[in-house]
Amino acid sequence: MRDMTRARAAWLPWALPAIVLVAVFFVAPFLLNVRFAFSSWTSFRAEITWNGLDNVRTLIDQDLLANAVTVTVLYAILCMAIQNAVSLSLALALQRTGRVNTVFRSAFFLPTLISPLAAGYIWRGLLAPDGAVNSFLGIEWAWLGEPATALVVVAFIDAWKWSGLITLVYIAGLNSIPKSLLESATVDGAGAWTRFRRVVFPMLAPALTFNVAVTLVGALSAYDVIAATTGGGPGDHTRALNVVMRQQWGQGFFGTASALGFTVTLLVIATAVPLVWWLRRREVTG
Amino acid sequence: MRPAFRQALKYAALTLFAIPWVIVPVWLVVVNSFKPAGEAAELGLGLPRTWAVAENYGIVLDRGAYLTGLLNSLKVSVPIVAAVVLLGAAAAWAFGRSRSRWLQAAYFVMGLSILLPPSIIPTVYLLRALSLDGGSLGYVLTMTGCRVGIVVFLATGFVRAFPPDLEHAAAIDGASRPQVFVRILLPLLRPVLFVGGVILVISVWNDFFFALFLLQGSANATLPLSLFQFASGTLQSLNWNLVFAHVLLTTLPLVAVYVAAQKRVLAGLTEGALKG
Repeated sequence: MRDMTRARAAWLPWALPAIVLVAVFFVAPFLLNVRFAFSSWTSFRAEITWNGLDNVRTLIDQDLLANAVTVTVLYAILCMAIQNAVSLSLALALQRTGRVNTVFRSAFFLPTLISPLAAGYIWRGLLAPDGAVNSFLGIEWAWLGEPATALVVVAFIDAWKWSGLITLVYIAGLNSIPKSLLESATVDGAGAWTRFRRVVFPMLAPALTFNVAVTLVGALSAYDVIAATTGGGPGDHTRALNVVMRQQWGQGFFGTASALGFTVTLLVIATAVPLVWWLRRREVTG
Repeated sequence: MRPAFRQALKYAALTLFAIPWVIVPVWLVVVNSFKPAGEAAELGLGLPRTWAVAENYGIVLDRGAYLTGLLNSLKVSVPIVAAVVLLGAAAAWAFGRSRSRWLQAAYFVMGLSILLPPSIIPTVYLLRALSLDGGSLGYVLTMTGCRVGIVVFLATGFVRAFPPDLEHAAAIDGASRPQVFVRILLPLLRPVLFVGGVILVISVWNDFFFALFLLQGSANATLPLSLFQFASGTLQSLNWNLVFAHVLLTTLPLVAVYVAAQKRVLAGLTEGALKG
């Protein structure tokens, strides 16, 4: 066995299948995307040639890029905010493991099992002008058809779908806080709010880092819920990057579609790197 | 306030919240999938005045190509989940134990593959070049390559936290490496593989985005894809009764699995295997 840990080559076969799959089906497309984003490639001309920033220029000329970036970023922020507010509240209420709490945890986990597509159809039904939400509120409002609410509602549906899972991650985080720390804070005279702000919240940093990063990054790739509800409308108010990408792809403009996909990647990098760095630093200083 | 009173207040608030959050959405789907088209178009929450259960579900099974979709979903989900868990565990063992710089570099790239969005359009191009486009195999390989990073990442930390003494002892007793992997590593990694597996099953079963680009033709369509095609096909006058029947049937398999394994899923996800 000694020679087993020493013989480095001997470990390679165990990692190789995973490495090859990631290299071929993740890394290679990633690198190809950098080329395609700056290439002319359409269904009308199969030859792929460099064209510099032409794709970006085309997208700007058609007024597609700036709007898509704005919509995508707003969507991600809304989705992250709603999801984490709801999930953290639920986690605080359901932290202790008991029979009643398990029933509630189980119920609130249910939306996570529903596909984002199905979630889109369900809420499109609930929020229809003559639907259940409006008849309860006694108003008539096209939640998904009005520019004022469409984006918020679509982000809400996405948040609704994932909140169950994020709640459980927060519960795991809450339960990893040493009891003694809370007890000594109580002995020192800290009230519930002070305990939350001074002990629970800083100790929750790893779960918070994870959840904020995951929800933001995930929402930047938004597509499914929008496809099931607004299709990008009204006008272009919910036309996120991936929605435009799919449209460009459908029309045979593969180069511009790649450029849009690459924009999502850039947004993810621009979001994730400082976020993880900042949240990690906060974790240390508490 | 007395603790018991506060407790009661909390559960009252939670129940009040659960009504619009969980109960009404589920009820809307179920009850409207039992109504004839005209009645379901009102999108009300009342019981059906006329029941149309057999008609609606008959149409979904037939025109909605539900059974084909179910088989296709199983045909891709099972291999993806099995491959990701097994290959991920094997790679995590190597990454956790080897000090080779090359392997550590590969581990770093796998970490990036979790964070960065997959590049779907070049993937279509690549699959076409490999003559794997449109079919299940290309989809399975792509999904495995894009998802294996999560399991590798979760499990490698787990492997590192354990000293290799047990593996050494087994090797001295004459166990081969595959034997050590099956008898020691897999049981050791079970909690973390279970958590990874749960998240994987949910995301693979419900995947729409990859399927939309990579699977062509109704012969290969998975359930989300067949739901979308079905709903889009009737979009002009969205037949809510049929769409909801399809939604219910599409969600049901996962809910059934969840109900059966509920305790372990909730316990697994809350016991902090995701931490770190």
